[in-house]
Amino acid sequence: MKIKRLALRCAAAGALLLGASRALAHGYVGDRFFPPTISTDDPFAVDELALPTVSVVKNSGDGPSNWEWDSGFEFDKEILPHFAIGISDTYIYQHFRHLPTAQGWDNLTLTAKYELWQNDEHEAIVAVGLESDIGGTGSRGVGRASFSTLTPKLYFGKGFAEFGDQLWPLQPFAVTGEVGQSFPTSAAEPNALEWGFAVEYSLPYLQSHVKDIGLSKPFANMIPLVEFSMETTENRGQGGLTTGTVNPGVLWETNYFQLGVEANIPINRASGSHVGATIQMWIFIDDLFPKIFGHPVFGERS
Amino acid sequence: MKQLTLNMTGVLLLLLGLPTFVTAHANLDHAEPKVGSTVNQSPKEVKIWFSQSVEPAFSTIEVFDSAEKRIDKKDSHVDKADKAILIVSVPELDAGIYKVVWHVVSVDTHKTHGDFKFTIKK
Repeated sequence: MKIKRLALRCAAAGALLLGASRALAHGYVGDRFFPPTISTDDPFAVDELALPTVSVVKNSGDGPSNWEWDSGFEFDKEILPHFAIGISDTYIYQHFRHLPTAQGWDNLTLTAKYELWQNDEHEAIVAVGLESDIGGTGSRGVGRASFSTLTPKLYFGKGFAEFGDQLWPLQPFAVTGEVGQSFPTSAAEPNALEWGFAVEYSLPYLQSHVKDIGLSKPFANMIPLVEFSMETTENRGQGGLTTGTVNPGVLWETNYFQLGVEANIPINRASGSHVGATIQMWIFIDDLFPKIFGHPVFGERS
Repeated sequence: MKQLTLNMTGVLLLLLGLPTFVTAHANLDHAEPKVGSTVNQSPKEVKIWFSQSVEPAFSTIEVFDSAEKRIDKKDSHVDKADKAILIVSVPELDAGIYKVVWHVVSVDTHKTHGDFKFTIKK
């Protein structure tokens, strides 16, 4: 009887350990949790769901001015260990004062990402990926591109735990970012260097790893950040033009989702003439549905 | 557009109401002695409150002195009344800097770990 009970306990322990090997899914390197960011992509090839991402901005460029509301989603699934594919799209709604409203889906975007290198001690990670904007899949009414664009990308993340005890207030800082080279399939469109990064200060990291300064919730679960999302065109008569936004904001972490809000400030006239705003929810589907998500379809995450 | 907004709002409300019956990563909520704190006398134990219940068989706290020698009593256990609290006893400690290393598995098998320091100044 005792042996039977022991065998049952061993089997339970084995099952638990096997399950534990798939842990540390979304965004962890060592002790550092890197949150998914809003304006730039993070370096993690894990199961993630952003639903919704809602942004609003007033456009007043060459055409008639309008208020634009965008509602989007992104879903990523780890297929092989450290390799994930993703799909995302945005529904665009443009309200003109004296013209009919324009609305419809933007082009579909597919991504593939592989975590190339990771160092837990130094809280560092590097990933590579390919982003494909599929031309013609969106609505003509919102001016979707009829051509496709392929963008190979390099992603990175780094925490700053190396700052010693003397500089402990700096330890919660971290940076994530991406650099990509776009290749449109239309000969008329310029190639562009897409680059961006996020500088973040993790109050949860400060509270649980560095120094408990007595922050209460919800502030103890917040990550203030500034994101820089840029694009520099390279050729075809448009070389050297950099456009983009600087996006200060804050992320609020819970066990099951992350809520983020950012202002979108254009860096120059070519990037826009009005400040926009974006609100986004990331749902930690590996925590909500651990039997389905949080592990690759094939193989085991090491 | 209205339909889309309604759908999005529905998803948001559903998610805000969901977390009461699901589990997640167990992260350090707070500790005693406090993370990064300086205390005037040796604690009898190191106690960590986690954001989720943890699995006793696979959850440990280790305490090391500044020479990286393990000095806790190796009796990590989960609080009987609250499975989100992990405790380890320590002997009478001298003045110095101590490092606490924790590894836990939450009840749904998510594994997390971390460390922090505290100082005793007598």
